[in-house]
Amino acid sequence: MPDENLANQEEKFRSIIEIIDIAHTLTEPINYSIVNLLKLSADQMDSDEASVIIRDGDEGEMKFLAAIGKVADQVINLKIPSGKGIAGFVLSSGQPMAVSEVGEENSFYAEVDRQTGYSTQTILATPLRFNDEIIGVLEYVNRKGKPPFEAFTADEMDKAAIFADTIASLVNVYEIAELSKNFSNKILLSDEKFKFNEVREWLNDVRSSAEHKQTIDLALLIKEIANRGENERRMCKQILEAILQYSDNTTETSYLNF
Amino acid sequence: MTTVTGYKENENSTTLIYFQLDEKWKNCTGKGVSVAIIDSGIDADHPDLQGKVKESVEAKKDKTRIVFEPSDAGDSAGHGTACAGIISGIASDAEFYSIKVLGAGGLGDGQAFLAGLEYAINNRYRIVNLSLGTTKPQFFAPLHDLLDRAYQAGCIVVAAANNLPQPSFPSVFSSSLISVSKSEEKNPLNFGFRYGEVIELTAPGVNIRTPWLDGGYRNLTGNSFACPHIVGIIALILEDHPNFTPFQVKSALYAIAEENLEKAENK
Repeated sequence: MPDENLANQEEKFRSIIEIIDIAHTLTEPINYSIVNLLKLSADQMDSDEASVIIRDGDEGEMKFLAAIGKVADQVINLKIPSGKGIAGFVLSSGQPMAVSEVGEENSFYAEVDRQTGYSTQTILATPLRFNDEIIGVLEYVNRKGKPPFEAFTADEMDKAAIFADTIASLVNVYEIAELSKNFSNKILLSDEKFKFNEVREWLNDVRSSAEHKQTIDLALLIKEIANRGENERRMCKQILEAILQYSDNTTETSYLNF
Repeated sequence: MTTVTGYKENENSTTLIYFQLDEKWKNCTGKGVSVAIIDSGIDADHPDLQGKVKESVEAKKDKTRIVFEPSDAGDSAGHGTACAGIISGIASDAEFYSIKVLGAGGLGDGQAFLAGLEYAINNRYRIVNLSLGTTKPQFFAPLHDLLDRAYQAGCIVVAAANNLPQPSFPSVFSSSLISVSKSEEKNPLNFGFRYGEVIELTAPGVNIRTPWLDGGYRNLTGNSFACPHIVGIIALILEDHPNFTPFQVKSALYAIAEENLEKAENK
């Protein structure tokens, strides 16, 4: 029954592509939210430069996931060797650290500065924790205005820890969605027959994250509604827009009451 | 003159003893006192530390266990060098033993940290600087056991409190170690003792100038840098009183801090 096999194959392909689509749909807004949070928090920390550095593999290496500031575009995806520099220490120790006069050293930061033309002088680095695991590092670099820059204070270290908690939740969702994309891509590119048991096991892992499960369920529900027809799509859109409007109004009211 | 109360064990009973801590310790340099730094390694070539690092070992994975091998890797992050530099600034003749547990690929987890502490206890280093900790509950029991072993072996373990608002181990254990959090104070001799608090000692830890990588210096903030200030003070006391037990050292710190407080109030 070659036709039936072909139809099954197509259906399986479609499932994988749907997973990639959902994951892709998720990662973009998450990244956008991380950048927005970085801007908001950096402002509170009297800094214009901030970045989120995440684990890259199992050997302690890291890479820049998001950044704001003058050299943001140049540092994105830049790799940091295992245990190197302040970020490396914060990732492996789980402890925040504030360091000033950074630029003098012949270290990782000097290398980055040489590559970007930037001058790092003072840094506050704090770990990103999720479920007791350290998943990355949040860094604020230099101050607003012109040098010399004042060192970050102990109070700012406490404040950064609060921002780090929120950013860590977003990074966790981002990493799960990325994992989903990479895994599905790998299956599509593979010459081997699909290993659906692996896919099922992986999906179970993903679903152990409550936030992610809710988001994926929502995305699937919307897709299901969209498949029902044009009227359903229109109605769904109106309802979702009404929820957003309600949410905006609620936020405003809470703020005024506060 | 500071009067310190302590207990001394003899063959038949545990007897309350009194001993007096005069000011001699303030002129000591930590000579003959061994200090283990469990951290990211130490840059032994730093001008402030040359000739002071007696041994450097590094944690390596050997199948499922962790072993320690001689290391010439130095310091991967600067943190261990900073801790050793602060101690050396107070106790210039203290001997350093670097136990590198952070910075190696795939290591740096609680397991390597515990193994480093066990290594220090087995080698009977007199003071252990632990500007590290873990929040993982699975390490609570093994760390508690190790700290008791350290106490019984006469190793004085000094741990930094977590900089984040959650308990970290071992800094929250109270009986068998000395735990420290940062203060804005600049003079290392003016440390504080908050009896009854989870983290009892306070010491300078804000914007502290310390040795760093490549012979440089940095200004650092964190509980990590308060901890070595107390280690430095203990090294001075131990040179003057080499047979002090961890309990006696803690009593001495308490008495000195009380005196500091009294002096500050009378100013």
